[in-house]
Amino acid sequence: MKSRHRTAAPDLGPAASRQEQLIRPQRSRRPWLRSAEGHDKGVERPWISPRDLWAEALSGVLARPVRSALTTLGTVLGIGTLVITIGVASTAANQIVGRFDALTATSVSVVVPPPPPSSDALPLVDWQGIDAVDRLAGVESSAALAESDKTAAVQVRANDVVTPGGVSGQTLAVVAASSSLPAAVRGDVTAGRFYDTGDIDRHDRVAVLGDQAAHLLGIKGVEDAPAVFFDGHSFTVIGILGRFEREQRLSTSVILPPTTAKDRLGLDLVNRVLINTSLGAAQQVARQSPTALSPNNAKALTVLAPPDLSKARKGVQGDVNGLFLVLGLVSLIVGAIGIANVTLVTVMERVGEIGLRRALGASRRQIAGQFLMESTTIGLLGGVIGAALGMVVVVSVSALKDWTPVLDGRLALGAPVAGALVGLLAGVYPSLRASRMEPVEALRAPS
Amino acid sequence: MTESLPHGDTPHEGHVIKLTGVNRTFDSEPPVHALRDVNMTIRRGEHLSIVGPSGSGKSTLLNILGLLDRPSSGDYWLDGVKTGALADRQRTALRGSRIGFVFQSFHLLPYRTVEENVMLAELYRKPRPGRRRRNRGERARAALDRVGLSHRHGFKPDRLSGGERQRVAIARALMSEPALLLCDEPTGNLDSENTLSVLELFDQLCAQGLTLAVITHDDAVSRRASRRVRIRDGRLSQEVA
Repeated sequence: MKSRHRTAAPDLGPAASRQEQLIRPQRSRRPWLRSAEGHDKGVERPWISPRDLWAEALSGVLARPVRSALTTLGTVLGIGTLVITIGVASTAANQIVGRFDALTATSVSVVVPPPPPSSDALPLVDWQGIDAVDRLAGVESSAALAESDKTAAVQVRANDVVTPGGVSGQTLAVVAASSSLPAAVRGDVTAGRFYDTGDIDRHDRVAVLGDQAAHLLGIKGVEDAPAVFFDGHSFTVIGILGRFEREQRLSTSVILPPTTAKDRLGLDLVNRVLINTSLGAAQQVARQSPTALSPNNAKALTVLAPPDLSKARKGVQGDVNGLFLVLGLVSLIVGAIGIANVTLVTVMERVGEIGLRRALGASRRQIAGQFLMESTTIGLLGGVIGAALGMVVVVSVSALKDWTPVLDGRLALGAPVAGALVGLLAGVYPSLRASRMEPVEALRAPS
Repeated sequence: MTESLPHGDTPHEGHVIKLTGVNRTFDSEPPVHALRDVNMTIRRGEHLSIVGPSGSGKSTLLNILGLLDRPSSGDYWLDGVKTGALADRQRTALRGSRIGFVFQSFHLLPYRTVEENVMLAELYRKPRPGRRRRNRGERARAALDRVGLSHRHGFKPDRLSGGERQRVAIARALMSEPALLLCDEPTGNLDSENTLSVLELFDQLCAQGLTLAVITHDDAVSRRASRRVRIRDGRLSQEVA
């Protein structure tokens, strides 16, 4: 036992210590070694295992359970308020935003009023107008559409033979549309083909049926060139358009090339323009398309655009958040002050203990570390409880309102971390006080 | 981490403590000369008592011996290490590893069991070979057994008598296998019966080879020591036991 303290190679002597310094130059940079006249002092550095530090802090917290529990309250309230505020806001925003999917978010339609009846003015938008729209940035497809009350309900038959007592035909809408319609309604031509610009230019008497219309008329394919008859005209069916994602009512329509429609039915005035934009471009396209369609009468056009998604979301969150976020932050600050206060009181009560620990070889840093850890633990505890309570409230509110609770995972994980951070900050001053105590003075205090 | 000193600087091998020309003055108005030219050695295995009335400089001497305070001048070797040039952290580490403190007011943590209190002694250092963290509880119980508290395992200090509390404190001091047990009025808070039991424990420990320095104003306590040193007005005088 007597020789225990000089076990580390005493016969190597100063050579060993010089070598030691050569191998570990970073040690010699420490001021105490410079002042130590090259002696190795045979002294270990203060060290505590992280587990022990944590255990000491935890037992410090648990030694006064009621006090610790009360101390966490501020953090619980603060973190809880923040989680509830952010959680309820994002849940509510999701309810509103949930209705807008990508389809509606990129669909713009322009309603074109008829030209003033008094004058013989030109139509506000002609069929070539959509070419200008197509050139706008963010437009993926567009099509013009002409409908009229007159052609909204037309007796359409699939053959010219009138069977007595039989159903003579179907009442269908007849519309004229530009050749880009399939893309504009995001549909598929399920049979045959859609008419092209050639058909339009030649004023071909062709028609494309919406899939429902074709079904109603008993037309299943176009291989044998079926025809439809209405208004005393016959049209060859060259294609069937189905799987509409927009303008589903067109599935029960007979769609004609604009030239043909004008010739045969007088259906000429463009009254709707369908535009599909890339995601996020809807607002801009909605602003620009009236001018592109009708430079002189842009104001007369009505644009139906999806509401601005980001604005909708922000609006909702802005309303809900503002006040409560402030409330939550204030509670957090109050919580931090509470923790700081109680930790300071605890430090003052434990002066004797601090002295003892210093006598047992604890460095100032270790003393500070312990109290910092205690306040952090209290903050963490408050954060965990607050986050849990907050989530329960968010889920309950959602259940009451039949909403889908939406909670950011980062919020759930971040809240306890925020609590711990609050505790850490709150503990800085008290632990500095604790570490600055002189052991001689501290030991004089009653334990 | 532990390296030995060059032998030339070491005082005699058998000396746990060597003070040469130690002075301690406090900068007050007028300056207080608490220790004057103190020369003292404590040999390994010695049981020394330092006696003196209050205000004689006892506490100052104790603080210097315990590395809680620095001498204004003079040299202090502790266990072969010259402490004057050490930085605060090194003094702290040296204090933790070489000195076992026993205080008048015990300084036990009231909310921890006696084992946990004893284990505190090993908290602030790297585990040495053969003294693994895992076995710390066993060593604490062994230390408690050594001071005769086998029957008090798991107790909280508030359920123990004063003498038992002081024994726990002694067990804690023994836990770190110190070079020196530094006792500051160890029986000051104890009745005569408990005092006796603690003194008997000191005798036993001394017989096991432990070095003891007991600071006291109680002659009955100091009489147990193998050597007595008297301190008066900051000056030491040797007494023959």
